[in-house]
Amino acid sequence: MFDFPIFEMPTIGLRMLMAINAITHVFVSHGGAVGGSVVLALAAWWTNKKGDMAGYETVYRLLMVFFIITTSVGALTGIGMWIHANIISPNAIGGLIRVFFWKWFIEWIVFNFEVVLLLFWFMTWKQKALTSEGRASSVRTGAFYAISSWITLLIIAAILGFMLTPNFDGQPWVDPEVYPGKVNYDNALFNPTWIPGVLMRTFSSIAFAAALAIMWTWILTTFSKNEEIQETKERLIKFFARIMLFTVPVAAAFGYYYLLQIPEAARAMIPTAMMTRAFADKMDLMHMIISGIGGTVVLTTIIAYFSPKRMPYIAATLMVSAFLLFWGYEERTREFIRKPYLIYNYMYANGIRVTDVPYLNKVGILKHAIFVNEKDKVINKDKSNLIEVGHTVARIECRACHTENGINGLKALTAGWSEAAIRNRINNLPGGGTPYMAPFVGTEAEKDALAAYIVSLNKRGEIK
Amino acid sequence: MNWKLPFDIPLVIPTMGLPGWFFDSLGVIVFVVHIAFIYTLIGASTASVLYNIFGVFKKSKTDDLLAYKMTNPTTISENMGALWGVAPLLVISVLYTGFFYTAILKVSPHILHIIYGNIFAFLLSYAYKFSWHSLHHHKGFHIAIGLVAVLTFYTLPPVFMSMSNLYLQPELFASVQSIWDIMLTPLTFFRLINFFLTAFAFTGIVMIYLGVKWVKAGGEEEAVGRLAIDQGKKWFMWAAPVNIAILPLVFFAFSPRISEAYIHTPFVFLPFAASAVLLILFFFLLKRFSNEEMSLSDATKSMVLMVVAVALMATARHGIRVVSFAEPLQLQAEATEKYMTDVITEYKAHKEEMKNAPAVVLDPAVSLADSKGCLACHSVDTALVGPSYKEVAAKGESANILTASLKNGSIGKWGETPMPPQTLTDEEAKTLIEWVLKQK
Repeated sequence: MFDFPIFEMPTIGLRMLMAINAITHVFVSHGGAVGGSVVLALAAWWTNKKGDMAGYETVYRLLMVFFIITTSVGALTGIGMWIHANIISPNAIGGLIRVFFWKWFIEWIVFNFEVVLLLFWFMTWKQKALTSEGRASSVRTGAFYAISSWITLLIIAAILGFMLTPNFDGQPWVDPEVYPGKVNYDNALFNPTWIPGVLMRTFSSIAFAAALAIMWTWILTTFSKNEEIQETKERLIKFFARIMLFTVPVAAAFGYYYLLQIPEAARAMIPTAMMTRAFADKMDLMHMIISGIGGTVVLTTIIAYFSPKRMPYIAATLMVSAFLLFWGYEERTREFIRKPYLIYNYMYANGIRVTDVPYLNKVGILKHAIFVNEKDKVINKDKSNLIEVGHTVARIECRACHTENGINGLKALTAGWSEAAIRNRINNLPGGGTPYMAPFVGTEAEKDALAAYIVSLNKRGEIK
Repeated sequence: MNWKLPFDIPLVIPTMGLPGWFFDSLGVIVFVVHIAFIYTLIGASTASVLYNIFGVFKKSKTDDLLAYKMTNPTTISENMGALWGVAPLLVISVLYTGFFYTAILKVSPHILHIIYGNIFAFLLSYAYKFSWHSLHHHKGFHIAIGLVAVLTFYTLPPVFMSMSNLYLQPELFASVQSIWDIMLTPLTFFRLINFFLTAFAFTGIVMIYLGVKWVKAGGEEEAVGRLAIDQGKKWFMWAAPVNIAILPLVFFAFSPRISEAYIHTPFVFLPFAASAVLLILFFFLLKRFSNEEMSLSDATKSMVLMVVAVALMATARHGIRVVSFAEPLQLQAEATEKYMTDVITEYKAHKEEMKNAPAVVLDPAVSLADSKGCLACHSVDTALVGPSYKEVAAKGESANILTASLKNGSIGKWGETPMPPQTLTDEEAKTLIEWVLKQK
């Protein structure tokens, strides 16, 4: 059911629009805030304990970089997730807010602590660095900042877990046959991938942040004119590498544990999610990607630990790039394997609820599409507007994943197909070959219209 | 009236049994805090660039220092403003989900400017702040950075206010097609004037308050404090009079249905009350206009009056919601109830039908063909993307050739659309080919 105004993103499509914001946010929130807060608080504590004042100053410079990125890009892409979800899947985000309102409200309160502590830590650092009591209090502020950062992750991971695995031991979170739906908030919160997801994210975030810290330590110390600062390079890189030596294996172990909690059908889609449909069968390619990313992280960590002074810049950037790839893949895979659902077993990727399907198959998907032009909703007797009606159906049902002629474009995907072939494909969704596609919803006439529209995409400009 | 409203989300609103006024007040309070930070952000970032320019032209170190000091309230208010913007959005989108999301969709993709434009302005404002000392001898360039940041901040309220004006007037959902249809209306114009004037007046009071603290701290800061107090008064007294006049007008620029109903509610007194408070504050400052210093208690009093005026404006704005949403919420609830009753009836009937339907026993070869995705392009008796299995069987190729085509892919035998190579075991290939050849 899609009864909101329809927003389409030409060429790059809605998925890519969301992905740009989402992946930027994951990089910054995990690497900068959640992991960064822990890593920088540890580094501040350690340098202060050792009485290494030059190191303490370098940590401040690192904090400045992290502060600038997290409070601007991180915070705003966080709000951006919401705004993007509003315009891409209003039904889904509307449902999620009804289910998780109070958790989100608590999260917002924790955000207050997080932002205030970060502002306070950063803006009072210089003044407090002068005395040992000041430094001790500053380190404490950093620790509290790290704790509040982590709590925000704890809450948001519950919502992500819910979308993938909303059911807990077969206990439903809502009865779809009752209106208005009464939500079982406990079942929604304590879903099976929540805690595994939190553990995986916590340790991989810390490892990622340590990698970022190594890269920025390299940059800041190498280009510093202050010799004392230059000399902190070796000590700090070694310290951050030590954090990685501990967190990388733990993150990998929890990642595997997380994987085991994912439903069978979703797990089977991981190869397609990682390598697209064309390469879905190339398991050796997938193993190469995984071991390439993992191997790069391990190798560069070893270099950083044993040879921090001579660690080349290329190794530091490779390390960070491997993590960026990891997060990109992790997010893409997690989003993809949920398909054809947006909220598993409850709502399809295009915002149509599973319960809506039998009714809409009877009356048609366009009957309640309130923001669509009336003339594009009903097929004329002479079928003169068949293609326009089909286009409207596509805008409602296909828009979430396909563009007309851009990324995952309908035109290229059906090049050379006959109308009968397209009709057959629509009729047999999801089908064995494309288990991630949502079923067609609507009447037979709408199915004809959709097929006519799709076939027309490859016929435009053809001389009759 | 031509209402076009989406259905409500069919899940209960999680009120936890708390009364409606609790959420109303929560919405107003978090909004006041948010808007206070946003006023400060707009004003403080403007002030910082303005006094930076004055510092250069007047060759005045005090102006330069004031400009630098104003970057701190900028940083704090941009962070806190974004953060406290989340809370009202959260409250609104759980209570008025359909209206809020419809408005956001109607002004898309332009609404994304409040994300990407904001990131751009944020980063520039940090660049401006943190390069203050290193760009000390490149003032022109430095001021340009600050100016671009400020101007970018200025572009955000028109976008956001267009969305907010649309969501407050659901009767416009049927006619507004893009952001410009709502941005270029008298309402948005009046509200923007009101917004910017309040922002400058508010910042004036913030400057007075900070100035008093700086004077108290003494030393180098004393002169800056005096300048801030003097300038703060002027900021307020320039901005307030027009605002006092325009404020009550804003509430009559809504659509006739809303404005006419609004007059008959007690909310209609609130904009006048807000104007009255601003007027009192105006005379309060006028009386102290030529004093070089101000007591902390006077600064606090000014701040309290200013916040009261802002809270009155916010409550008056909440009144618009009360008046405007009563009817569409009712219509939406009725439509949703009818729709969901139909949906659930049909869903139950469908489930019953499925339960009683005889189980279909599929040939294992057919299930295999389906699971491998063959049926996406082939069917038994009609040519689709590829030939029908009947045609393939009739052509009479040997099982070995067909197995090779299946495993390695094939092109040219049935046209120029290629069949990609398929991954399957020898056993699976055998099952499929035997089944295909049976389809003659």
